Amino acid sequence: MRRFKAGSAGIAVAALALTLAACGSDSGDSDSNTDNEADSSSADLSAELTWWDTSDATNEAPAYDKLIEKFNEKYPDVTIKHETVPFDQTQNKFKTAAESGSGAPDILRAEVAWTPEFASLGYLYALDGTAALDNNFLETPLSSNVYEDKTYGVPQVTDTLGLMYNKALFEKAGLDPEAPPTTWDEVREAAKALKSKAKVDGIYLNSGGYFLLPFMYGEGADLVDVDSQTITVNSPEAVTGIQTAQDMVKDGTSVKPTANDPYGTMMTLFKEQKVAMIINGPWEVAGISDDPNFGGIDNLGVAPVPAGGAGQGSPVGGHNYVVYSGMDDKKAEAAAAFIAFMSSAESEAFIADELGLLPGNADSYDMVSNERVALWADAMEVAQPRPWIPEGGQFFAPLDEMATEVLIQGKPVQPALDKVADTYKSDAVPDYSLE
Amino acid sequence: MRKRFDKHWYAWAMVLPTVIVLGVLVFYPLVRGVAQSFTNLNESNQRDEICTKILGGAETCKPNPDAAQFVGLDNYVDVLTGAQGDFWLQLVNTLVWTVACVVLHYGIGLGLAVMLNRDFRGRSFYRVALILPWAVPSFVAAFAWRFIFDERFGVINGALRAIGLDPVSWFEQRWTSLFTAIVANVWLGVPFMMVALLGGLQSINGDLYEAAEIDGASPWQRFVNITLPGLRPVSSTVILLGTIWTFNMFPIIYFVTRGQPAGETEILVTGAYRAAFEGIRDYSLAATYGVLILSILVVYAGVYKRVLAKQGEVF
Amino acid sequence: MGELMPEAIQPATIEGAQALERLRLPHVRRGRSTLASVGLHATLVVATFCALFPIAWVVLSSIKPASEIRRSEIHVFASPTLENYRTLLTGTDFPYWFLNSVIVAAFTMVFGIAMSATAGYALSRFNFPGKRGLMWTFLLTQMFPVAILIVPIYTIMANLGLIDTKASLVIAYLTVAVPFCAWMLRGYFDTIPRELDEAAALDGLGPYATFWRVVLPLARPGIAVTAFYTFLTAWAEVAYAIAFMQSSRNYTLGAGLQQFVPQFSPRWELLTAGAVLVTLPAALVFFFAQRHLVAGLTAGGTKG
Repeated sequence: MRRFKAGSAGIAVAALALTLAACGSDSGDSDSNTDNEADSSSADLSAELTWWDTSDATNEAPAYDKLIEKFNEKYPDVTIKHETVPFDQTQNKFKTAAESGSGAPDILRAEVAWTPEFASLGYLYALDGTAALDNNFLETPLSSNVYEDKTYGVPQVTDTLGLMYNKALFEKAGLDPEAPPTTWDEVREAAKALKSKAKVDGIYLNSGGYFLLPFMYGEGADLVDVDSQTITVNSPEAVTGIQTAQDMVKDGTSVKPTANDPYGTMMTLFKEQKVAMIINGPWEVAGISDDPNFGGIDNLGVAPVPAGGAGQGSPVGGHNYVVYSGMDDKKAEAAAAFIAFMSSAESEAFIADELGLLPGNADSYDMVSNERVALWADAMEVAQPRPWIPEGGQFFAPLDEMATEVLIQGKPVQPALDKVADTYKSDAVPDYSLE
Repeated sequence: MRKRFDKHWYAWAMVLPTVIVLGVLVFYPLVRGVAQSFTNLNESNQRDEICTKILGGAETCKPNPDAAQFVGLDNYVDVLTGAQGDFWLQLVNTLVWTVACVVLHYGIGLGLAVMLNRDFRGRSFYRVALILPWAVPSFVAAFAWRFIFDERFGVINGALRAIGLDPVSWFEQRWTSLFTAIVANVWLGVPFMMVALLGGLQSINGDLYEAAEIDGASPWQRFVNITLPGLRPVSSTVILLGTIWTFNMFPIIYFVTRGQPAGETEILVTGAYRAAFEGIRDYSLAATYGVLILSILVVYAGVYKRVLAKQGEVF
Repeated sequence: MGELMPEAIQPATIEGAQALERLRLPHVRRGRSTLASVGLHATLVVATFCALFPIAWVVLSSIKPASEIRRSEIHVFASPTLENYRTLLTGTDFPYWFLNSVIVAAFTMVFGIAMSATAGYALSRFNFPGKRGLMWTFLLTQMFPVAILIVPIYTIMANLGLIDTKASLVIAYLTVAVPFCAWMLRGYFDTIPRELDEAAALDGLGPYATFWRVVLPLARPGIAVTAFYTFLTAWAEVAYAIAFMQSSRNYTLGAGLQQFVPQFSPRWELLTAGAVLVTLPAALVFFFAQRHLVAGLTAGGTKG
């Protein structure tokens, strides 16, 4: 599954804020641009809360520590045990702990796909009517927290996939670094120029299911249709989309990904300036700009994912704050206050400035000055939500296998997608119907 | 009579701690697992009630309409017909994996042990160097070998390129991918075999060799007629244990190939792990896998012992 | 020794016996041909290279800076630096993990030896009801995959309040190590003649005293193998460590190092440095035990 790392995203003042506000109107409980103006008893609140933070221990956690200090200025008696847990293991650890009733934290930074799953298993408190929902959140990130009409968390950061490219290589190939490709066909053309004039490969397509979603969305397809309860991963549109990706590998536009660790290889080659374009997310920007071989952040261009036949579409990701349902009820007020504070406009703007991540709070965008956030303005415009069902997390393992079969082994696309559909039916969503 | 009772009492006292620990931590889950394999228990239907709690507010509970229930042999049917999971593919992989590893472990271990059994200069250096892989933790070894076989940045492909050959895409094909894991596991497991067989060799009476040489036996004849039979007790034990350990060897496949390409190198234990921990945890399916794995190994051990018993070994 | 000897290959004639005697005389040197010698060394050198190369590669990688470890051009040395070690030791909880692992491994060794030795001795000496069942149990428990046991054992540990404690790991590792060690030690004890036991009984020693004072000291090689095996089990284990330990400061080395290799953005520089530091103590324990490893495994294996 995906992994989110400290990214960097700068904000261009009004543009991004307006864009995102447009696709995400206030859907919290209050319209006002409030910060954590919690109830009167702030100084009396006393509790100890454990927070499992899945962010990177070295690069990101210190920023959250600073936020916690600010929190304690307002609530001196609420102690926060800030624990860093590795992202890869957290879903399992949390589930094991929650199920046995012992060892689970009070607050968790849950990836968007985990939230409906945990909620459906009864591991989370619903936050309706509490101070935690007092902020103005973006609609799409907030929607990942809603399960059966109750809200189980609030967005911390959000992200999407975009077309990241190397400006210097573009110039060398005679392409305009400020006008990156907007369709997959244009990517193909650019790749030819890059190959012949700049002697580098055009694009590296990662053979991961998540990273092929832009191809599907670009044809208007999706994995499942929640409203009609149908599995649509093998629809004709999806086949067209994946076929585009396979053709790009076959005709040399894209490097053929390696079967083992394609993601790591993709990033190494991009940083070494051996491949000019990749599809990836904000969490890599810090690593790219710090790499001695790349040439700094000014060399990096970010554009929305290229369009297929039906337009552009990229998946939305991010993280939410959630509360474990096994937490002692007496700590409820403290937990709500903590979450309200951490997801307030100021707090999330602070994180955006420190780490370059995109806030989930709509009001933060006015306050952010980090230029890295601005890089992603256009890319976020074409982000679309995923089906936020509890089984959502199970969609990716079969999709990853399909990606390997189609991109690396060159197997035919329709049967591969049919196999995915069958696996969805047997393992993930047995109640849905196949097309 | 009293002496017998006393002896038994002491014996039981001596094995009691082991029995308790194993009983609680292995047998109890084992029995529960077998029971679970006849249900459709998974993470979401294991609760009798579904409760929704509001933070600082009310809790409403309702009975779970989908609560886990007895399904008889459905899980076994699903697994064995391939409706769920990929049992037969994984079984073939497991068998190839186990046979290849054990044969190579034993063969290479025996060869090295025979060589080290002679007296020559530098013997202790070689002995220490060759046993060193045993001290390397298995997940470290797995990552090291994966790195070495890396298609772009690994040393093996780098060496191939340096001498003008095409680099091999190790993880793109099922059998080359399995090969990388076998190499890693053989590297890790040969020291144990070598040491065990070396000990076995050293316990064979040297006079036998000398006598045979006088009688005109060739080195090969000496090997077949003295060495191999002499090693039989040690061999039978290490092969039995080695087979069981390799069959269930999780870290190497999980970390070296990760099941690539596209799940084609998964073995039964990694398949069971994925069923247990990826997505909504399917406890009953994982338990089914566990029971099947256990059954295969029990049958194997039973047959193995019977074959050995026929050949005169006493277990 | 009877069963080790096939149809007796003994000198059939007086002449043969005399020839044998002559061979034992020091001045008759049965040298190996030079070709065979070269062949022997060549093979062993290749084998040693194969054995040591991956370790050497990890060591070399650990002294490369992060950006040099995965590069399209592979260099043996590339700006060697100890930065990774410094980051590992000062910027992560590695020292805690190391200490935790030492404690867990030490306790696993002590209890593991105690339990395996007593169980093995009982199996070797006494014919008690349930003996065969127990032997089968030791074999059986090695057959059930760990992956499936993790969640039930976690629940049991949670009920005992042992989650996030080293005790939970020690107990779990005992279930992994003791079956094999007891089995092996039984075989080893079998090679120690019972006459010693009987003599001790005549001297008035009870079974425990016989075990402790008479038999055990003779079993040093077997104990050495058990010590090494239990140590390595505890030292290198990952799955239980990740499952049972919650806070970073309580991790053991296996759990801690795992963090550096998530599926995306692995930190190879820290992993390789950590791998070197993890292997060193294991190698150290191994050096102490290795003299006995051969002898211990032998006898343990001879009688199965």
